[in-house]
Amino acid sequence: MDSQAVNQSQSGNLNRPGTVAIVVALVLLPFILSQFGRTGEFWIWVTTEMIITGLFAMSLNLILGFGGMVSFGHAAFFGVGAYTVALLMKKAGVPLFLALLAAPVAAAIAAAIIGWFCVRLIGLYFAILTLAFSQLLYMIVFQWYTFTGGDDGIHGIPRPEFLGPTSYYLLCLAIFLVCFMLMRMIVNSSFGLSIRTIRENMERAKFIGINVRRYQWINFIIAGAFAGLAGGLLCELNRFAQTEFLHWSKSAEPILGSLVGGMYSLAGPAVGSAVLIFMKIILQQLHRSMVEMWAIVLGSILLVVVLFAPGGLASLYQKLFRKSDS
Amino acid sequence: MTKEYLLFMLINGLSEGMLLFIIASGLSLVFGVLRVINFAHGSLYMIGAFVAYSLSTLLTTGSLMSFLVLLLVVPPVIAVLGFFLEVTLFRRVYREEHLLQLLLTYALVLILDDVVRVIWGGDPRNVARPELLAGSVDILGLALPTYNVFILGVGPVVAIGLWLLLYRTRSGNIIRAAVSYPDTLGALGVNVSWVMTATFMLGCWLAGLGGVLVASLASIDLGIGMQKIIECFAVVVIGGLGSVGGALLGSLIIGTGITFFQLPFGRWALIFPYLMMAVVLIVRPWGLFGRPER
Amino acid sequence: MANHILSIEHVSKSFEGLQVFNDVSFAIAEGELSSIIGPNGAGKTTLFNLITGYHIPDDGKIVFEGRNIAGMQPFDIVRLGMARAFQRTNIFPRMSVLENVLTTVITRQKGNLNFVTPTRNLKSAHDRAYEILEGVGLADMAQRLSGTLAHGNQKRLDIAVALALEPKLLLLDEPTAGMSPEERWQTVELVKQLWERLKITMLFIEHDMDIVFGISQTVRVLCYKTLLAEGTPKEISANQQVIEAYLGEEV
Repeated sequence: MDSQAVNQSQSGNLNRPGTVAIVVALVLLPFILSQFGRTGEFWIWVTTEMIITGLFAMSLNLILGFGGMVSFGHAAFFGVGAYTVALLMKKAGVPLFLALLAAPVAAAIAAAIIGWFCVRLIGLYFAILTLAFSQLLYMIVFQWYTFTGGDDGIHGIPRPEFLGPTSYYLLCLAIFLVCFMLMRMIVNSSFGLSIRTIRENMERAKFIGINVRRYQWINFIIAGAFAGLAGGLLCELNRFAQTEFLHWSKSAEPILGSLVGGMYSLAGPAVGSAVLIFMKIILQQLHRSMVEMWAIVLGSILLVVVLFAPGGLASLYQKLFRKSDS
Repeated sequence: MTKEYLLFMLINGLSEGMLLFIIASGLSLVFGVLRVINFAHGSLYMIGAFVAYSLSTLLTTGSLMSFLVLLLVVPPVIAVLGFFLEVTLFRRVYREEHLLQLLLTYALVLILDDVVRVIWGGDPRNVARPELLAGSVDILGLALPTYNVFILGVGPVVAIGLWLLLYRTRSGNIIRAAVSYPDTLGALGVNVSWVMTATFMLGCWLAGLGGVLVASLASIDLGIGMQKIIECFAVVVIGGLGSVGGALLGSLIIGTGITFFQLPFGRWALIFPYLMMAVVLIVRPWGLFGRPER
Repeated sequence: MANHILSIEHVSKSFEGLQVFNDVSFAIAEGELSSIIGPNGAGKTTLFNLITGYHIPDDGKIVFEGRNIAGMQPFDIVRLGMARAFQRTNIFPRMSVLENVLTTVITRQKGNLNFVTPTRNLKSAHDRAYEILEGVGLADMAQRLSGTLAHGNQKRLDIAVALALEPKLLLLDEPTAGMSPEERWQTVELVKQLWERLKITMLFIEHDMDIVFGISQTVRVLCYKTLLAEGTPKEISANQQVIEAYLGEEV
């Protein structure tokens, strides 16, 4: 079973001891970090953000890498999730866990509506329409001052007392792991196979009896739901929601994460996003003004990937390793 | 609401549309020949606006001469920038899949927009209008801002210029042939890569021109590139990718649409281009003037 | 008169004002192995596109097993029991040979809205996929990336994918296109053998007259926007109209 082709498709086949070691390390991490005072707390915050952004990137990759659909508007669902949590907790006093449950539901509904139109188009037009819808949503949130706070966003989202930095990290990690298992299940299921079939050859997929639009739509909704959950988690981490969450540049982050980590694997985008956040923090530590250049760095990485390693940086490593092997 | 007021709105909307046309026609032309949709087109327009601002600080404020210098210098500067981008980057991805082309121009947006932030910062700027265009003119008993009327005049000049270039010159013939029959061009002994570079530069020149014009129309900031590129998408989606005539119509629809929707909806009118784009993409994805690719 | 599995009734089709078919009618008997020939540009592939729902006829009916399928979506038509292999190789290149067939088998079994069961646990689908691959002689390449197969094997895989749909009617668009003479006859043998073994109706497009006259029971000639002639190989090769319009040039 372990041929090259199957490896590429049946994702998440890390060997068992390795997986256990990584999970254990991730669980222990905040306890180690918390020994280092304020710096440690800062890094707990950073790693929590990494986990959340990783979830966001993995959700996009369900449509980007596995589905072959380039969306420039995935932040829309991230934002819907974030604002759902913000509004429910701040204005309706809903407890955190219920709000976190509502976030993916709201995002899925938004994805169902937006996706219903978008999957009618392919390629370039699909990309443009996703961008248009996400900007539309951005404008609505931006303009609707009385409901969403407009440019100011929504601040001061309450946090349950028992949730310190470490326990919130662990909560996010647990949610991330559950989502990872769910996504792995989906990708390896018959549905996942159909999605990859469509990516490989959409026309032929129709001729083997796959209702292409419906499957892409369902996939779009699933991806939107996970993105919404990620948005909700980040909202609670920052304790605010802002229009930036829906901005087009937010949609770029998971694309870059996926490209850096590798689009054809499940965990790749999460690793890629973590690497990017780490780089950003390092840049910040080097010099404050370097953060201004962050987008330049991101753009340059993307340029390198596009020009020299279209399969993602992961494929570049692979290429290098192959060469040294033979 | 008087008739005069509606006319006033119409003129404003049309001049808004003409500015949009100047920028969008560049995007559409580039797509027609290169088959790449350049997300960075809005960034080039924004750079044009900021370069115009910087240059204007070196010149006498408000003189017609300075304005002419801006008009003559800035668009070529952007065209030269385009030359380097085409030769070093775009050329490498013409034969790649759409995804990579999209991501390449997307990477450029990230880089260029941030370069603008680093160089010029986030403060809104603007360039003083030359005195001649600063006041207002009386048309049909209405006092209209001269500058808007001026842009309303520049649009058709650009449109006619493009039309003459495309339909009355040899270079234009080649560009049109490149749009319609990209494969046969090489066989005719035409240096295709030169045609592509030249077209890309022309597109950038138009973006630069739009930048100069907007710098004196409204205040410019870091958001104008993204805002304009999405309006441009709306325009080319409505008019059909690659069609200059379609771009004109699309621009006027979007320009007047935004202006008139402001009456009942205020600032919400800004979502009009997105709505319009979504509707057209759903009903007729190849645009009003374009043709389905298959 | 045998039962007709498919009948084309007065079908017309134009593209942007250019007429491709004008009032074409014919019917295919159940269990028949028949072919369509015609000069380049006669619209043979377009005919397949019409039958399989890729294009919609402007006029006329396409009746499959007593049901008008004109206007139905390709994926719905497939489910009624009609499959198609393509002229230009049309597989899923970055999936393994096995997966190419497996995804089709699963779709056929209507099990692809399953989000839970890993595909590797679907034993019966795997068995079925292997069985089909064996039938076309690709079983020993099951784990290879299909895009890396030689051209002839990719066309075999294309046929295997079509067979995985368990069609009652199989349309083959130039199954030997781009093959070496040796590969050609292997493929022809395969087609013939599959037809005999599976007892399904097959309709194929082919340029090579030796192949056409060698294995078809019925030959149909498509020319000048319409069906020029229909008959046994013997009748067609003696048909004066066909010789003038088409065969003449080649002999």
